[in-house]
Amino acid sequence: MDYLIFSLSLMLIYIGLAQLLHVQFGLAGIPNFGVVGFWGIGLYGTGVLYVQFGVPLLLAIVVASVLCAALAYLLAHLILQRSGQAILAATLAFAAIVATLVITEKDLTGGVQGLGTIAFPLGDLDARNIVYLGILIVLVGALMWASARLRDSRLGRVLVAIRDNEELAASLGKDTAASKRTIFAITCGLMGVLGGLTAPLHQFLVPYLLAPSLTFAVWIALVLGGKGHNLGAVIGVFVTFGLFDILVETYAPVPAEQAILLPNFKLFCYGVLLVGIIMFRPTGLLGEDAPRVRRRSGSGRVRDIAETGAE
Amino acid sequence: MLIVDAIFIGLLEASPLILAAMGFTLIFYLNGFMNIAFAETITFGAYFAILFNVVLGLHFYLAVIPSMLLSGVMSVAVYLLVFRPALNRGVGPTEMIILSVGVSFMLRYGLILIVGPENLFLNEPSISYMQVLGLGATNLQLVALALVFIMAGILFWMIYYTGLGEQMRGLANNRELAMASGINPHATSVAIWFIAGCAGGMSGVFSGVFAQVTPYMGWNVILITMLVTIVAGVGSVRGAVVAAVVAGILTAFITLVTKPLYAEVALLLAFIGVLTYRGTRTA
Amino acid sequence: MMQLTATNLTKSYHQHEVVNIEKVAFGAVGLEGLIGPNGAGKSTLMGLLTRRIAPSSGDIWLSTDAGDTPLNPLLAHQVARFGLIKTNQRIQGFDSLTIRDSLRLALTPPKTEGLGSLLSNERDTDEVEEKVSAYVEAFPFTDPNGHARSGGEKKLVDILRCLIAEPKLLLMDEPTAGLPDDITRRVMDMVREKVVAGTMRVVVVEHDLPLIWEYCDYVHFLSEGSILFEGKPDEVKSNRVVAEKYMGV
Repeated sequence: MDYLIFSLSLMLIYIGLAQLLHVQFGLAGIPNFGVVGFWGIGLYGTGVLYVQFGVPLLLAIVVASVLCAALAYLLAHLILQRSGQAILAATLAFAAIVATLVITEKDLTGGVQGLGTIAFPLGDLDARNIVYLGILIVLVGALMWASARLRDSRLGRVLVAIRDNEELAASLGKDTAASKRTIFAITCGLMGVLGGLTAPLHQFLVPYLLAPSLTFAVWIALVLGGKGHNLGAVIGVFVTFGLFDILVETYAPVPAEQAILLPNFKLFCYGVLLVGIIMFRPTGLLGEDAPRVRRRSGSGRVRDIAETGAE
Repeated sequence: MLIVDAIFIGLLEASPLILAAMGFTLIFYLNGFMNIAFAETITFGAYFAILFNVVLGLHFYLAVIPSMLLSGVMSVAVYLLVFRPALNRGVGPTEMIILSVGVSFMLRYGLILIVGPENLFLNEPSISYMQVLGLGATNLQLVALALVFIMAGILFWMIYYTGLGEQMRGLANNRELAMASGINPHATSVAIWFIAGCAGGMSGVFSGVFAQVTPYMGWNVILITMLVTIVAGVGSVRGAVVAAVVAGILTAFITLVTKPLYAEVALLLAFIGVLTYRGTRTA
Repeated sequence: MMQLTATNLTKSYHQHEVVNIEKVAFGAVGLEGLIGPNGAGKSTLMGLLTRRIAPSSGDIWLSTDAGDTPLNPLLAHQVARFGLIKTNQRIQGFDSLTIRDSLRLALTPPKTEGLGSLLSNERDTDEVEEKVSAYVEAFPFTDPNGHARSGGEKKLVDILRCLIAEPKLLLMDEPTAGLPDDITRRVMDMVREKVVAGTMRVVVVEHDLPLIWEYCDYVHFLSEGSILFEGKPDEVKSNRVVAEKYMGV
């Protein structure tokens, strides 16, 4: 039961990350392949502040996330005006730098020996892990709500326009570079928050956590669920992490020798799913999404009109 | 002297990377996307070498050629089965990279499921230590270096002095115009993917014999391969060689001076710097 | 109001001089035309005036009541915010946005498109909707609540986007290409209304001479990279040099 709660908590972190990636790539068109780097700054930043400097958990998460957002803003200044492939490579490189520095700066981070222990919050509460799960549900839910608001807002519209044709948007007076930088910094900062929230779940941090496999798992989930759809992240994570990491690995009755191969089988399936989706249904399981425009009708009641969206 | 040591060590260590970068950049140039699954071309090259060298008992040097050729064939198969259909469907460059990640996962974890995750070792030929210009190297390393230069030379000749190279450059620069002037895109593409596969496979063979053969060996070097290719400029084989050599030398230098991992950080920072200041040359 | 003035403007490619203009002012009169034979340098001049191409020498200024601003140091979005907008000769658009959304986007001031917009309950005000509807309903779109279908519709949306953004100086780059005659007329009537109302100055680059003679108050004639003549349509029409170089008389 405890393990299930732990897995569900992790799953929520993944949903949050995928949702933020949806905003970055699905809405704004920024291919961020350094997700684990930003999450990792939050994770290890929180860990270091808590373990080495005795900073209380909440404050540590906040400080680490602000640092993360600042670094993201700097990176944005450097590379967001380059091509998609350049951004992909640069963010990938950024995450590799973070992972490597965590290993080299072992006085701070414990290096390969690891960093610990980040005590689970909420004191002696009996059902504290369920309460934490509840907190995560609320936070990720808020993230999804904010993401939907973004999609329906003027900012969302200008981001989509920038994604579709940045030069044209600029010719109409939109400061495309600033909009992209802002949204990138904020979403990366929120990835840092999720990293900070993961620290008490693992309690003991190791550099292995910063391997690019997290980035790819999040991407696979998002592409599978539908990068352009607000619920794409949830569906994608349910179908990958939920199905495999939780259901199959925890509950499927598999003999011991086979069980070792299970993670490899899971990743093989991810590969198949990814290839299948891009080849046959590139918009993902959920397809495209359209903004829902809230309008005040004549009688003053708010109506919801889903406009005829793309495809 | 530190610099000379660094250059020498860097050159030797960089030889597999040079081969990988050459193959990677060819595909990037021809088809316009970064093929992450090229990592598996490298890995499979080493595993093919295990097949010929360990399982079938061939001498190492005899195993190199068939391993290389099989890697070329595998590269073509992946192109025909996955990448060409995807390109024909109009999948964009960023999505192609994501697709190649999927292919990479399929190949790597499929390999583990079939062959198992253990590290394997190639049967090296007898090692003799030689002195070149006052510095030590094994005969194996020197052979690898020699093969790299031969391969680079062949590729260079092919790209700039043969019809095939001209066709590839024509297709890469302006597809419609190239096809209108009679270039057969299918044959040209297949040839290029074959050659790129051979380069990757050979890279894997030598990486495998210098260290060990693991399912992750290609995946572990694909990032540095990507960086070197981008820094070198897409399609520039000459540039890929230079950039890989510089990367190898820088790594060796920094490793000799401080921690090896700082070399990685330095390279990565330099890479981001190049991307920042180069402008839009990367796509 | 706003003018674009250029002094000693030249552009050369590989020692071949493509544009060489001593002095010209666009937007000083009202609805102006820019004509010239193929190869005269019209596209290059347009590129120079919108900063897509850097001049080999010379200065370009944006002149308003507030003063003069050099054009070249500005960023693309700053040029637009100053009030200089150009329609696109080749079709450009936002594939994901509907026709209405495209127009709303052009009309919405950038300072309301920040993070604060997540908090507003209404994405577009009634005023915005009215303006957008006025434009959309003036033209026979196949799917007015959806997306532009044909190339012609996309071209039209491009022009309307520029108009709805209320520029001070609008450059129209071959607006007739790809549009049926009656639509072009309707667009030009709208344009003339705005010029007459004093809200906008326009420079139209065109090959369709009857259109130029009909709508323009002033015409600049470009040939071999220089402004050979400029004046009222009647003057330009009857000018001997223009007749030789362009109309093949």
